[in-house]
Amino acid sequence: MKLTSQVLELNWDDVAERIKNFIRDYVEKVGAEGIVLGISGGVDSSTAAALSALAIGGEKVLGLIMPEEETYNPKDIEDAKRVAEKFGIKTETIDLSNILKAFYEAIPNFNAQDRVSKGNIKARTRMICIYYYANTQKRIVVGSSDKSETMMGYFTKWGDVAADISPLMDLYKTQVRKLALHIGIPKEVALKPSTPALWPNQTAEKELGIKYETLDLILYGLERFMKPQEIASQLNLPVETVEKVKARWITNEHKRRMPLTVKIQYRTVGADFRLPRI
Amino acid sequence: MVETLKIALAQISCKRADKTSNIEKMKLYVEKAEKEGAELVIFPELSLTDYLVRDLIYELAEPIPGPSVKKMAEIAKENQVYIVFGMPEMSQKAESVIYNTAVLVGPEGYIGKYRKMYLPTHSVFEEKRYFRQGYETSVFETKIGRIGLIICYDVFFPEVSRALKLNGAELIVCISASPAVRRTFFEILTAARAIENNVFLAYVNLVGIEEGLQFWGGSRIISPSGSIIAKAKYDEEDFVVEEIDLKNIRHVAAFVPTIRDLRPELYEQLKTASETI
Repeated sequence: MKLTSQVLELNWDDVAERIKNFIRDYVEKVGAEGIVLGISGGVDSSTAAALSALAIGGEKVLGLIMPEEETYNPKDIEDAKRVAEKFGIKTETIDLSNILKAFYEAIPNFNAQDRVSKGNIKARTRMICIYYYANTQKRIVVGSSDKSETMMGYFTKWGDVAADISPLMDLYKTQVRKLALHIGIPKEVALKPSTPALWPNQTAEKELGIKYETLDLILYGLERFMKPQEIASQLNLPVETVEKVKARWITNEHKRRMPLTVKIQYRTVGADFRLPRI
Repeated sequence: MVETLKIALAQISCKRADKTSNIEKMKLYVEKAEKEGAELVIFPELSLTDYLVRDLIYELAEPIPGPSVKKMAEIAKENQVYIVFGMPEMSQKAESVIYNTAVLVGPEGYIGKYRKMYLPTHSVFEEKRYFRQGYETSVFETKIGRIGLIICYDVFFPEVSRALKLNGAELIVCISASPAVRRTFFEILTAARAIENNVFLAYVNLVGIEEGLQFWGGSRIISPSGSIIAKAKYDEEDFVVEEIDLKNIRHVAAFVPTIRDLRPELYEQLKTASETI
């Protein structure tokens, strides 16, 4: 197999159609009255929001814009609102600054220098707000996680990944960008550098230490059981780079599953208790 | 001798673990088929219970014949048609043993069954976790022709369809629950099985979305020369009725005489080679 950007090409009409059907079907099956999701002005949440609107109608989709003072970025807010307006999505803005301050002050051993742990509080606070709207307005939560970030474990456990369905989770980041352009997300949003917005000036590629164009091809090769050596040689990379991606993918499995428990009884939740979803 | 046969492809979505609703739905489709003059109505794999029921299968499986087969046989009798549908079959000898089974009923009642021989247990499929594989191919001599049954993944194994042909099948009915990522495989393989065996093949696939899998529909009737003579829509419920002319088998078989040219000695070689993979 030749690892070029060509392998990541899909029939975007078909992909968009399948995702819209999937969203519509789930909303109908669970009897929800709509969808709620966090919208950041980035490519993933813009695409998830747009597809939600295309699936069930924008008037049934609520986009929550949740800025906070440390990572406040008026351009992102403007982008989120622009996408929402284009697809007829209602928005509501919640300023998280005071909630976050209350957390920081209330936690006895809070360490402001530990930016990952502090950032995770932000991601989980966003999740709490989204689920508040889901509970009170009988909406389902649509997640925005993509396949690159999910495989790398580049997300906050029980934070940004928390959702009822994640329609983009089987698409690599570069594929989400293509899908975004295909369904009419503005180019500057679709191609904007991704950030989890956990601290100022954070960008995903800087933190992951690799460009998504390269990462996605490595992950694509791993998905198809290619050996790191082969991937490295095809992509002209040091094998250590591929090995590092592979190790990160495998060690983060705990973030993608139900919590592990000890097998004691006949059938066990998360192990051999296998029921269908609605 | 039967010459023509009118077939209804009932490409339905099913309600998860709800046998009553699914029988009710199949009944409506059978009545519709009868009005359109169909003699055989085909439903997808596990249409009695829906495909992905996981552990609920232990509560849903029934012996064959059993209560659901009895109801389907009554529907067949009332409408004077033959019906093929799918269901989880509980062994009468051991209740924990379940088969993924295709059932044939007709105006005369319960006719017979086929237990799926090839159970996909890879990728998103977990059939061997729940089902025991079948050991027999099944061809039924009926008033509407000689009908052989296969189920979904069986179509990847040419020997199953070949055995049906060698036992006299004129029409192979393949009931299926195939998700969209596999569409190309099935579109090629269903045609291949029809061509290589000089038979008609009626393929009926599920539609609907279960656990993120989107079943693609695309049910069809394929002639012995490989042409698609009837086709249902992709991805949505559909109902298609088409007549086939079984006489066509003879002239196609004369033109591409695959059965005349069979080489039995190869089967011995296949047996030996496959035992030592």
